[in-house]
Amino acid sequence: MATMIEENGPSTHEQPDVSSSSQARQKLEGLLNKNMRIRMTDGRTLVGLFLCTDRDCNVILGSAQEFLKSTDTFSQGEPRVLGLAMIPGHHVVSIEVEADSLDDAQGFGADH
Amino acid sequence: MVMKSAVEDDDAGWGLGIPEKVKNSANWVDITHEFKNSCKELNLGELLHDKLFGLFEAMSAIEMMDPKMDAGMIGNQVNRKVLNFEQAIKEDAIKVKDLSLPELIGIIDTCFCCLITWLEGHSLAQTVFTCLYVHNPDLIEEPALKAFALGILKVCDIAREKVNKAAVFEEEDFQAMTYGFKMANNVTDLRVTGMLKDVEDELQRKVKSTRSRQGEQRDPDVELEHQQCLALFNRIKFTRLLLTALIAFTKKETSSVGEAQKLVAQAADLLSAIHSSIQHGIQSQNDTTKGDHPIMMGFEPLVNQRLLPPTFPRYAKIIKREDMVAYFSKLIERIKTVCDVINTTNLHGILDFFCEFSEQSPCVLSRSLLQTTFLIDNKKVFGTHLMQDMIKDALRYFVSPPVLSYKCCLFNNHQAKDYIDSFVTHCSRPFCSLIQIHGHNRARQRDKLGHILEEFATLQDEAEKVDAALHSLLMKLEPQRQHLACLGTWILYHNLRIMIQYLLSGFELELYSMHEYYYIYWYLSEFLYAWLMSTLSRADSSQMAEERILEEQLKGRSSKKTKKKKKVRPLSKEITMSQAYQNMCAGMYKTMVALDMDGKVRKPQFELDSEQVRYEHRFAPFNSVVTPPPVHYIQFKEMSDLKKYNPPPCSADLYLAASKHFQQAKLILENVPSPDPEVNRILKVAKPNIVVMKLLAGGHKKETKVLPEFDFSAHKFFPVVKII
Repeated sequence: MATMIEENGPSTHEQPDVSSSSQARQKLEGLLNKNMRIRMTDGRTLVGLFLCTDRDCNVILGSAQEFLKSTDTFSQGEPRVLGLAMIPGHHVVSIEVEADSLDDAQGFGADH
Repeated sequence: MVMKSAVEDDDAGWGLGIPEKVKNSANWVDITHEFKNSCKELNLGELLHDKLFGLFEAMSAIEMMDPKMDAGMIGNQVNRKVLNFEQAIKEDAIKVKDLSLPELIGIIDTCFCCLITWLEGHSLAQTVFTCLYVHNPDLIEEPALKAFALGILKVCDIAREKVNKAAVFEEEDFQAMTYGFKMANNVTDLRVTGMLKDVEDELQRKVKSTRSRQGEQRDPDVELEHQQCLALFNRIKFTRLLLTALIAFTKKETSSVGEAQKLVAQAADLLSAIHSSIQHGIQSQNDTTKGDHPIMMGFEPLVNQRLLPPTFPRYAKIIKREDMVAYFSKLIERIKTVCDVINTTNLHGILDFFCEFSEQSPCVLSRSLLQTTFLIDNKKVFGTHLMQDMIKDALRYFVSPPVLSYKCCLFNNHQAKDYIDSFVTHCSRPFCSLIQIHGHNRARQRDKLGHILEEFATLQDEAEKVDAALHSLLMKLEPQRQHLACLGTWILYHNLRIMIQYLLSGFELELYSMHEYYYIYWYLSEFLYAWLMSTLSRADSSQMAEERILEEQLKGRSSKKTKKKKKVRPLSKEITMSQAYQNMCAGMYKTMVALDMDGKVRKPQFELDSEQVRYEHRFAPFNSVVTPPPVHYIQFKEMSDLKKYNPPPCSADLYLAASKHFQQAKLILENVPSPDPEVNRILKVAKPNIVVMKLLAGGHKKETKVLPEFDFSAHKFFPVVKII
């Protein structure tokens, strides 16, 4: 395990602009391993654990399940298991997290 | 596969946290804006991730919205509702009764096309089960369509069972998954064929009632109806015959194979009528949707899209209706050929049959039928003969070992019997595997042949020991007879055949580079074929010795003068063919060496490997074989060194020698009494090569820098050399 962490590198970097960027990073880190619901540009919704993101807002969800558009009566409620899935940032329409899990994710949803 | 296993791993690793409430909880908080803003604060190339999740894990994620990875994308881009069967009935998008004749014909033809596409290796979900009718035939009220839907399900079910049982498929050949669909298991085979027959009879009455009568003015509408009824009748009958034939294959009696052959022959007779009536069926209505599927009533190509695994999507291109009949007629031809196997009684003959059948790269269904016809329930050959008896017969035919001769004292000797019986029992599994290997697709066969050599090496060892034990036993009982290397010769023969086949198949599969040809052909001509010929002649002389003893015994008993006729030696054809092959290989070897001398063989820049590495890789499977011992690269270099000749030959000498080899092969083959297609194929290569080699020996185009071409179109293993 120890070697893997090294391989993956430290999850934080030294930043010149400490105040805003470290705060952002902290916010995002608080969301890690939370359940996330992402709507994509083609209307599908993926639900899975938030595992990874980057500057372009590409998001990786673990144990992702695919739901079709809510208007589609046929496949509603029947998710397709996708496993590990990456959603390119430019296809992300909206991102939601479960409210209960927000308690310990400081900063997010506070001003809502 | 990599992707799939990665996903499974992830399920284990990251799937723990998925709570059940995900489905119903509505407590979602939108954080889009904040999330995106936070992301912007990250550095370029920086990944924000959990400690246990890194770039390596990220690599195995599937990328959404990438058509190459995201199977769910296709279904979502179509601007129409994807309905399942029940929904389609509810919304009146599909008819379950009062279908017109053209609709029925069109649906049936499309189903046939789906069936064929499935047999060619696509998943059921993307082929046959795109037809909504087969999802639940109970809901169909139209009797013809209901019977057909059940029939096609039964055909799929039996085909699937056969293919699974034969186990000669790999993922590229066949998808056995049924995705939880019912394969008409609640109805018996007999009931389905009965339903089809009823529909058939009903249609036949209609065909008769609409038939034109003499002197009657023909109403074009009636004529059309007549044509359409006939078209439907033929399709239903074809389905029934195909199904009945497949059912016949599931029976255990050998006679049912003959029955199956008759049934498929009858089915084949309907094909031209089916082909000429394709235009009577309705066509797909619009082709504007993405994907390759035609959209027509009763079919929804995307209905199962969500059943597909999260691996990269495979697109099933359903074959065209015009090609359907051609495929069926080839399939039926293959099934008919398969049925012929029961007329072959000798194990060697059966092995040759399997080799020959495999050469035409048959489909997975016919390959599987051949396997299941050969070994019924994995016990008896054709359901009647014990594999052990087949092996004994093969031994008798090949080397006539005294231990298996009724006239030998060993035949009734208990100890000898124990020896031979246990040896034969040990043989049966490797030989069954060998036959099974020939049922795989061509590319997989090569790999498996390499592995089975290990088992044959063990058999070889045992054969030699049993031979020695039997010999010492025989020396005590009948000192004038010998039991030397009988079983060993037989196993060696099979060893050599496998090795030769392994090397030759590399040409067929286009695995070798031009600069590798010379050592492959060298190994074949100088080594394997030389060994094969000496093995065959040893077997032949062993046969003759046995015959002589029999003759003497006969003479001793009856004073009748046995008529001396010159019998054709059973192995003579094989010896002749081996000589021809050896000459072809030797000719190719010398050609390649000479071309190399003239700088006409492109060689790679060996940086990370060398010729030795490649050589050792090519012959690696032979390392498990004890007899014949593998020739290592150093030995090969020594044995093939041209400097040991004085003076060393120049390229012209070698071309001339090659020409002589091809000439020799031609002579041998032209004297074969009844030439088979293989003989003619080799001759087609030998003849032009004689001429080309003579030209090259005379210095023709010696200066040209253009590389020669090797044309394998006439023969899979030997090319026609072309100098441009």
